Amino acid sequence: MKNKALIILFFLVISIPAFAQDNVSPQRKNAIDSLALEKVRDLGKYISIIGDKKTPWSEANRVIDRALELFADGAMMGVSTLNSKEIKYWGIRTYLERLMALNYDKVTIEWYNIEYISDLEKQPDGRYVGVITIYQRFEGRVGDNLVYVDTTKKDITVYVERKETQIRGRLIGFWDVLLGDIRVSETMP
Amino acid sequence: MLLKIKNLISIRLVFLLIAAMITVGFTGCQSKKKLARQQAAKELAEKIEKAKKDLLMVINDQGAMSISQKEKIVDDVKALNLNNEEVDALIIEAEKAIERHKKLEAQRLEEERLRKEREAAEQRKIEEQKFDKMEDYFDAIASASTIDIANMRINDALKFFASPEVPVLIIVYQDNEITDYDRPTTIKQYLEHLKDQKKNINRVHNIEYDTKGKIVELELIKK
Repeated sequence: MKNKALIILFFLVISIPAFAQDNVSPQRKNAIDSLALEKVRDLGKYISIIGDKKTPWSEANRVIDRALELFADGAMMGVSTLNSKEIKYWGIRTYLERLMALNYDKVTIEWYNIEYISDLEKQPDGRYVGVITIYQRFEGRVGDNLVYVDTTKKDITVYVERKETQIRGRLIGFWDVLLGDIRVSETMP
Repeated sequence: MLLKIKNLISIRLVFLLIAAMITVGFTGCQSKKKLARQQAAKELAEKIEKAKKDLLMVINDQGAMSISQKEKIVDDVKALNLNNEEVDALIIEAEKAIERHKKLEAQRLEEERLRKEREAAEQRKIEEQKFDKMEDYFDAIASASTIDIANMRINDALKFFASPEVPVLIIVYQDNEITDYDRPTTIKQYLEHLKDQKKNINRVHNIEYDTKGKIVELELIKK
């Protein structure tokens, strides 16, 4: 019992510096939160453009490149279907290219209810990590017929890191938001 | 007896000589004092003349002298304590001239300040018009009904920039000490972002130009 108390005390003591270093004001933290949400909204729009059959091939490829810039290296996308309980995980480029090539005449993808389910928290390495959840409504049509529709709840891990760079001789401090794995948590008709 | 007479004559002669010497010495002393007085009077007259000349220079100045130069001249003359009516009258006149100069200088500075304010306001207006113009382009790209129209507007907007690689910085947070940016991008990518996202959530915060009037840096801030 005494040992357990000592261990708890030890962890409390080593965790204090991590919090003490976190001198980001609530207003500044709100700005970071909003920035990360904005990146997720951007991704939702990119996915909608890539999936849209009316988007010219060159435009879709350009948008794929832009979408990839949002992700951390090695991030995976979870994909589900109502027809199977299996959830497949694809690399982001593979997922986006498959999305572009889906065998429908018309694809409509919409992301909504985008919000944090786990607030951005500062990690010992200085990065902020949080989880944002989104609902994705997918509709696939052949001709005018709606042949597949589902709604998927997905959880996106978000990494935010403070970085610095030189722009025209000026040192710029910026928040780099990178999206990690996107996991399927629920698939509904 | 003869010896006594000789002695008496010698003594008288000595007295006479002493008296003659004292008389000569006194006359010489009197003459030196007179000379000194004359010298002092001459010097005073010269000082008065110089003071009058200096004061007239202050009074009649047409802008060649500064206020501090004039004040120094008047102060120097005052310090001489010349006790001369003419000089005193000129001091009053010179001080009045300095006051007039000060008023004119204050008026000139105020006019200069107002002119600079007007110029700054005009410059701000011009900058704001440029900002508005740029924001109009951004809105037009975000609200374009087709990809072709958006691309055309992107090409139009790019003409204002030194190159498609011009950096675009987006302020996401700012307080007295800190400015936080989003990841820096380029104008080409930013305009394409507007086209893709179909919304313009930033406004222009600052624009930097090169000598040819082309934009070399764009700073935006969240609306």
